[in-house]
Amino acid sequence: MRITHGRITLELHELARRGGLPLLLLHSLCGSSADWGEAPATWPGPVFALDFAGHGHSDWVVGGAYYPEMLAGDADAALAHIGNAAVAGAGVGAYAALLLAGARSTAVPAALLLPGAGLAGGGPQPDHGREFPEFILVARRPGVADTDLMVRTLERDVRPVDYAEGFARAAERILLLEDGEPRPPWWEATRRSPVAESITADLPSALTRLHATAHLRSTVTDY
Amino acid sequence: MDLRNVVYVTEPSYPGALEPERRAVIESLGVRLNLLEWGDPHASPVVLTHGMWDHARSYAVFAPLLAAHFRVIAIDARGHGDSAWAGGYSWLVDVGDVINVLRWVGRPSHLVGHSKGGGQATDAARAVPELVAKLVNIDGFGPPSLDDPRPVPVRFAEFLERQRTQRHSWRPYRSLDELVERRRAQNPRLSPEWLRYLAFHAARQDHDGWRWKADPIMAQGFGPWRPEWIGPSYGTLRVPMLAITGSEPDTWGPLPEAILAERLRHVARLERRTIPGAGHFVHIERPRETARLVLDFLRS
Repeated sequence: MRITHGRITLELHELARRGGLPLLLLHSLCGSSADWGEAPATWPGPVFALDFAGHGHSDWVVGGAYYPEMLAGDADAALAHIGNAAVAGAGVGAYAALLLAGARSTAVPAALLLPGAGLAGGGPQPDHGREFPEFILVARRPGVADTDLMVRTLERDVRPVDYAEGFARAAERILLLEDGEPRPPWWEATRRSPVAESITADLPSALTRLHATAHLRSTVTDY
Repeated sequence: MDLRNVVYVTEPSYPGALEPERRAVIESLGVRLNLLEWGDPHASPVVLTHGMWDHARSYAVFAPLLAAHFRVIAIDARGHGDSAWAGGYSWLVDVGDVINVLRWVGRPSHLVGHSKGGGQATDAARAVPELVAKLVNIDGFGPPSLDDPRPVPVRFAEFLERQRTQRHSWRPYRSLDELVERRRAQNPRLSPEWLRYLAFHAARQDHDGWRWKADPIMAQGFGPWRPEWIGPSYGTLRVPMLAITGSEPDTWGPLPEAILAERLRHVARLERRTIPGAGHFVHIERPRETARLVLDFLRS
């Protein structure tokens, strides 16, 4: 279905319609809702997958201004439509999920953060002299690509440790999927939050854990 | 609508404010930018960037004074003046626009920016030093501090709420006079004629009243940026900077001297000048004195 965030129209895919706690899925950088495959099929409730602005079947932002807080705003527009929901995000979608879970803690009983493209951003502090990517000089050609090239500015935005930690502490519950690979500083800061828990699992098992955690945190009247 | 009640206002004049000699429209990152030009098209170029809620015409007195020696190109920033509105806004793409104008000019230019435009001109000079000869920053050194003590997630929740309810267009004002009064609140030292000129070019007359041309969603934005990053960023500036400030306390400045000096100490090749009696809008309040300082700096 089409939903709006500011001037942008987004595609929110309803993957499963049934009773129970909804799940909202947020894809990684240059990905789309199609990336989730069959993994959410076992979720015991409605499942929604969002295409972020500039991705999949959603509008591109005219003028190319993309930043993580705007993607979290895309996800918040989905929440406005769905109501309270557990959120799972990969890569830049994991960072957006953290921002959303910290700001909308009453609406997001639990969030699952997964690795993926756009996870690190531009690091924990500005890299002066490298903030301005070459490709911002390239004229855009709408229609020749599925993904707006300008979303790659999300590989350069600064993600400070204390900023992430503030959101991680304000959230209800956060699950971090670990696989032995190194994680960016904002993720490590999130891990230190008292409401965070690291897990090692495949995606279907991680979603089962997310449901169990979220279910404990929400009452029947929440959804 | 009843057109009998519409009073059409003709363009106000102001002594020294000259019509642009040329106009150009270029596309930058998918957005149409309006450029105004004064002076010999073959002379060395100077590119001007205005501040938040302002427009290229705010340089209408200042630019012609430079045009005796230079080709002067004033940008209407995206979302301002006669440039197009975007789907959303960020500092990074604004800087991209300045860089794209410099590339369109095609030879090293001097760069002059005021307030937000001064900060973005400085960032453009850091990003593409090969396209910038000298930089003039007019009171564009950032805010003193972020003074909202509430936790970031609480402020972000407020931002998200505003995103859900934000209006995307202006309600009309009944007359140009109302816009003039709003501008006067920001620029208490300007004459009524100059205020009227600036307000006229910041707005358009519709059948139901006057609306600002500037995009109301532009003030939105949220991020981890902090003022302590400004000074160290100046450490990567390779072109000479003339830093101009006024002396008078104003809505937007000047910065406390200790904070300003701390930031500017990172600039390798710095000249500083203060124009006594001027507030934040130095080139609008004192266009002739400002132009004299800028010409001395650019021609030395």
